[in-house]
Amino acid sequence: MTLSDGTVVELPPENAPTQSNTVRKITGNTILAGLGLLFLVPMLWLILASIDTNATWAIEWPHFSLRNFQAVLTGSLLHSLWNSVVLAFLSTLIASVAGVFAAYSFSRRKIPFKGALLLFILFTSGVPLTIMVIPVYEIFAHYGWLSILPTAVFLSVTSLPFEVYLMKNFIDAVPEDLEEAARMEQASTLQVLWRVIIPLAMPGIAAAAIFGFVNAWGSFVVPLILISNGSQQPAPIALYTFLTLPKPEFGNIAAYSLVFCVPVFILYAASSRLFREGFVLGGGVKG
Amino acid sequence: MMSTAVVDTTTGPRVAELWKSRQDKERTKWSSILLLTPALGLLVVLFLIPMGFAVYLGLTDLTLLGPTSIHWGFTGMQNLTRLKQDTEFWSSLWTTGFFIGGSIVGVVFLGYVLASLLQRATTWLRIVVGGIVVVSWMMPAVTAGMTWYASTTGNGTFATLLGTPNSNFLDAQPLLIVTLANIWSMTGFCMLVMGAALRNIPSEAIEAAMVENASTWQRFRLIVLPLMRGTIIAVVLLTALLSLANFSLIYIMTQGGPGTATNILPLYSYQQAFSFNNLAYGALIGNVMVLIATVFGVLYVRIASRS
Repeated sequence: MTLSDGTVVELPPENAPTQSNTVRKITGNTILAGLGLLFLVPMLWLILASIDTNATWAIEWPHFSLRNFQAVLTGSLLHSLWNSVVLAFLSTLIASVAGVFAAYSFSRRKIPFKGALLLFILFTSGVPLTIMVIPVYEIFAHYGWLSILPTAVFLSVTSLPFEVYLMKNFIDAVPEDLEEAARMEQASTLQVLWRVIIPLAMPGIAAAAIFGFVNAWGSFVVPLILISNGSQQPAPIALYTFLTLPKPEFGNIAAYSLVFCVPVFILYAASSRLFREGFVLGGGVKG
Repeated sequence: MMSTAVVDTTTGPRVAELWKSRQDKERTKWSSILLLTPALGLLVVLFLIPMGFAVYLGLTDLTLLGPTSIHWGFTGMQNLTRLKQDTEFWSSLWTTGFFIGGSIVGVVFLGYVLASLLQRATTWLRIVVGGIVVVSWMMPAVTAGMTWYASTTGNGTFATLLGTPNSNFLDAQPLLIVTLANIWSMTGFCMLVMGAALRNIPSEAIEAAMVENASTWQRFRLIVLPLMRGTIIAVVLLTALLSLANFSLIYIMTQGGPGTATNILPLYSYQQAFSFNNLAYGALIGNVMVLIATVFGVLYVRIASRS
């Protein structure tokens, strides 16, 4: 382009930005696909070995069969899965009920030392409480509590602070007018909770409960130490015992591992949106 | 007369009193405390009391079996002196440091790269790769440990794919491999949090920088980084705290070995308490972990409560 005084100005070619954008997009997608493959590689053994009748630690093309899945869904292995259900369900129930009461009180009521208590809740939601397992073992051993029920209670405590924090954020968002309207009709606190707060804060309560369930379901070290009765051991311990056998059945191990993952994946898929919001809110990581 | 009396009672001091009681309306009700009781009770009984008990337990001669499992008592500084001279403890502390430090670097770097690439990616690629990374995060630690063991041992997936089926990476570089496994299992969480934070950055800020011809690095350093500072610090601290307690993954993969190569503090504490019978000494090592976790936890509270 030539200006009126005769100087020539070089204009950048008009399609340059879009071209570099295309290049960037292709580069980005390629790197992303590479990273995705890297993350996928460690899962390959689990998938291939679970459908292979002659599986070993090595990665091989499977002799396809579903026999491994049939084999692990019987007898004591099935019983261990049931123990996991009991353990996770009880601990979720305890944490969610105690949690929703506390979250409501923190959200709506005047409480002495509220600020300090909330900081304590935030602190314990970040610090993994499972590191308390040795003193808790000594206490439980003293009272003869080394069984599934007290262990469920301890597991509920490990997810309780985060659940309180998460549910409080959701209850904060429920308009107070609705609650006052219910109060006008002489509703008791429990009625307000049951009829107004819980239905309206349900996404948060569900996300908190799922967090608690997944936390208890996957827990390994807590039941390993706190449950002394072998027939009450949940699936992770059964899986570990499997490995220590003189001739481990690798295909069964892989199949059982996958079966054990299924509830976690289903719960996550059912609530992925809740979870994402939940972690951002509950972790307090708003930037 | 009558009317003045009425006026008298409803104005002046009476009204002031009404207002005062209005201001006073928000009193602590018994029901508020009652609602808090189950949660706080559980935390006191199964967190604060065990924590206090552990401090005492660490200074005793309690064992898992034998006479001192019943008749045990306070032994003063004996365990602390032992801890100070315990070379295995100090090496375990270093191992823990490497494990946590490596995990933080890997998780934050990969989490950020994945989150920012996912934002611009083709839809199907976003769903597939995002899904894989989230699945690796959701996978329970026992399963993750199992499949990582299979993938990195001799004849494992990585060795086979790299064309050297006989190399046993887990034996050759145990600490590096368990750290990589931990990074793999925690990146998904970081990716989701970073993704949410990236979406909160106003696009005007980025566009303005583009108009000013800011380079990619400048945009990152001057706009993205300051806006995401809180998120990044929170993710760093949470990664540190969760790695510190990640007993299961290493226990399944190496049980702290070979030798003491991957014996991070929770494993050493467990080993002393339940394999070597020294419950008290195990509790003391646990207390060191609590101390470290408290430092990270307090920093986390300061960052998270600021928002």
